[in-house]
Amino acid sequence: MIKGAIAILIIALWMFIIPFLIGILVNGMLPTVRRTVGITFILGYMVYFAIFEVIAIPCMLHYVYNAFSYCTKYYMIVCLILSALGIGKSIFVLKKEGWTYLSIFPGETHATSHDLLSPRSDPRMLRLSFSLESRIYWGIFAVLLLIQVILAIVMSSFDGDDAYYVVESLLAQQADVMNTILPYVGTTTTLEIRHALAVITMWIAFLARVSGIHATIVSHSVIPVLVIPFVYLVYVEIARILFRRRQEIIPVFMLIISMLMMFGNISIYTPATFFLTRTWQGKAMVCNLVFPLIAWVFLWMLEDSRRTSILGKKAENETESYAEYKETKPLYIISPWIFLALINMFSGICSSMGVIYGTGLIGVLVLVLLLFAKDIKVILGAALCVIPNAVYLLIYMILSH
Amino acid sequence: MYGIFMECWVALKLYGGNGALLLMFIASAIYLVCVEESLKKKIMLGILPLIFLVGFLCPVTKIVYVAVFDDGKDTYYRLLWLVPMYMVIGYGACKLIFSLKRSMYQRIAIVSAIAIIAVSGSLVYASEHVKLAENLYHIPQKVIDICDVISPDDGEPRVRAAFPSELVHFVRQYDTDILMPYGREMVVSQWDYYNPVYEVMEKPEVINAEALLGATRETKCKYIILSTERKIDTDLESMGLNLIDSLHGYNIYEDPQYDF
Repeated sequence: MIKGAIAILIIALWMFIIPFLIGILVNGMLPTVRRTVGITFILGYMVYFAIFEVIAIPCMLHYVYNAFSYCTKYYMIVCLILSALGIGKSIFVLKKEGWTYLSIFPGETHATSHDLLSPRSDPRMLRLSFSLESRIYWGIFAVLLLIQVILAIVMSSFDGDDAYYVVESLLAQQADVMNTILPYVGTTTTLEIRHALAVITMWIAFLARVSGIHATIVSHSVIPVLVIPFVYLVYVEIARILFRRRQEIIPVFMLIISMLMMFGNISIYTPATFFLTRTWQGKAMVCNLVFPLIAWVFLWMLEDSRRTSILGKKAENETESYAEYKETKPLYIISPWIFLALINMFSGICSSMGVIYGTGLIGVLVLVLLLFAKDIKVILGAALCVIPNAVYLLIYMILSH
Repeated sequence: MYGIFMECWVALKLYGGNGALLLMFIASAIYLVCVEESLKKKIMLGILPLIFLVGFLCPVTKIVYVAVFDDGKDTYYRLLWLVPMYMVIGYGACKLIFSLKRSMYQRIAIVSAIAIIAVSGSLVYASEHVKLAENLYHIPQKVIDICDVISPDDGEPRVRAAFPSELVHFVRQYDTDILMPYGREMVVSQWDYYNPVYEVMEKPEVINAEALLGATRETKCKYIILSTERKIDTDLESMGLNLIDSLHGYNIYEDPQYDF
């Protein structure tokens, strides 16, 4: 019993607290108005995954024996150092700026007189008090979310691909290998490059190794506890941009999204089906996390860009966001591109297919952004943020020939 | 070209199931194109998703996709994942609901929207592939119990066991120290692999015990797990195997000649 409780605490530490601390460490790159708990958590996770990718893939390619132990050791060291720095930064900043440094999710801070007078504040980004009706909608959404998480644990779904992906995680945990044993039968093989670079299975194995929980339990019963709320968090962030001026609509939007997910099993191909029946698989994360994340970052950049398009009337040089409030540090301008690069790395962890699709999606969305930003530099941003994808595909091609 | 277009159309129909989601999506996107004041949102949630959908149906897209991806014919539907259908439907519905003037109408519209989604959709948990979990592993308890009988102790060499095809998906999800002569690759019919143990254990209506034993010894299996309902021409015990346990309708035989 005590052993189980300790395992749960350890896995909660590695699933929630450490990525959040990493997020705190690096959230200085976010514009103040976007430095919320939710976005800090998303950012932390993207960095957390990116670190894993740059450690796991070289370990997998370099070490013949005990590759997974090396991967686990290096990843733990790096994450613990970053987390310690995150704690240090939290203490420093909280002492200096108080609790308002981190705005509270799901809204942002309530406007104080200081906020309203500050040239750095954007009143539209500040949360209004939700009405009782909105709170009820939030409550219903929270119940639906809780139901989905509970059902993910108490209901099991059969999917044949688990015989591959879940066993890869378990092999890493039990045999200390990284994709060098055939999951179906157990014989030794060379690196199966088609799936090997998608190291999300190894990340799940990492959680299993540090917590001592069986990798199959982590895959089927633990990962949904992270991924299901995470996906909805991304949709909340999307909704906050879409309904910037009427935030009381957000819970209704979330209700509709969660209903679409729960009743989305119209075929075996939909993201909803993948979301709730194959949550732990890279493909499910690509279609439910990666693509919405990419859309969200572009909505963010569009919100920051000028109101009129290249096709519209003469530019008013006005944005819908914080830029007009003089918060225009160069880092804040490039931060969404950094975010996109990190999302691309996450995409590679999930699936090689995600890398190609993600690059294409960014290629299309950047054209839309160009219409409004009217700045050729966005092309440069897009080109730079897909460098991780290019490197990934290069490694893929080299190894597969 | 028309043939390829029809393939794309069929892929779309298969993706959309009863078509309600696609209808809701197209209606929402067109609605947003018509009423959304913000050009940015109109493009992102109205025009662009519709262009993606048209692009999906375009034969050239499929030709390029199949040329790029080895398994392009089977995975073409995944391009539809790039269409933010849920976002478009959610935003379109909210836009419509909150364009209503009176709060009571808005409340009725919210309930109606939720009801339409529920009635026209299909609950994930009602799927034939979803059932109550027997344990936290989410694999059948009978597999766990059988594996616990044959699993090697710490420090002992791994063992190989021939399982019936209905169990092969789960065995190594529980214990990777149990190897198998064949696994899921034999169960997926379209892959069409050959395996000597599978040929004699799964294909015949009545198992030829001698052939089975020959194949399992050839592949160095220590254990054979057979359903008690499976017909076999000769009792395996009479051929020298030990019946070490019988669980959940499966007999577990150990081959004493296992010496490698």
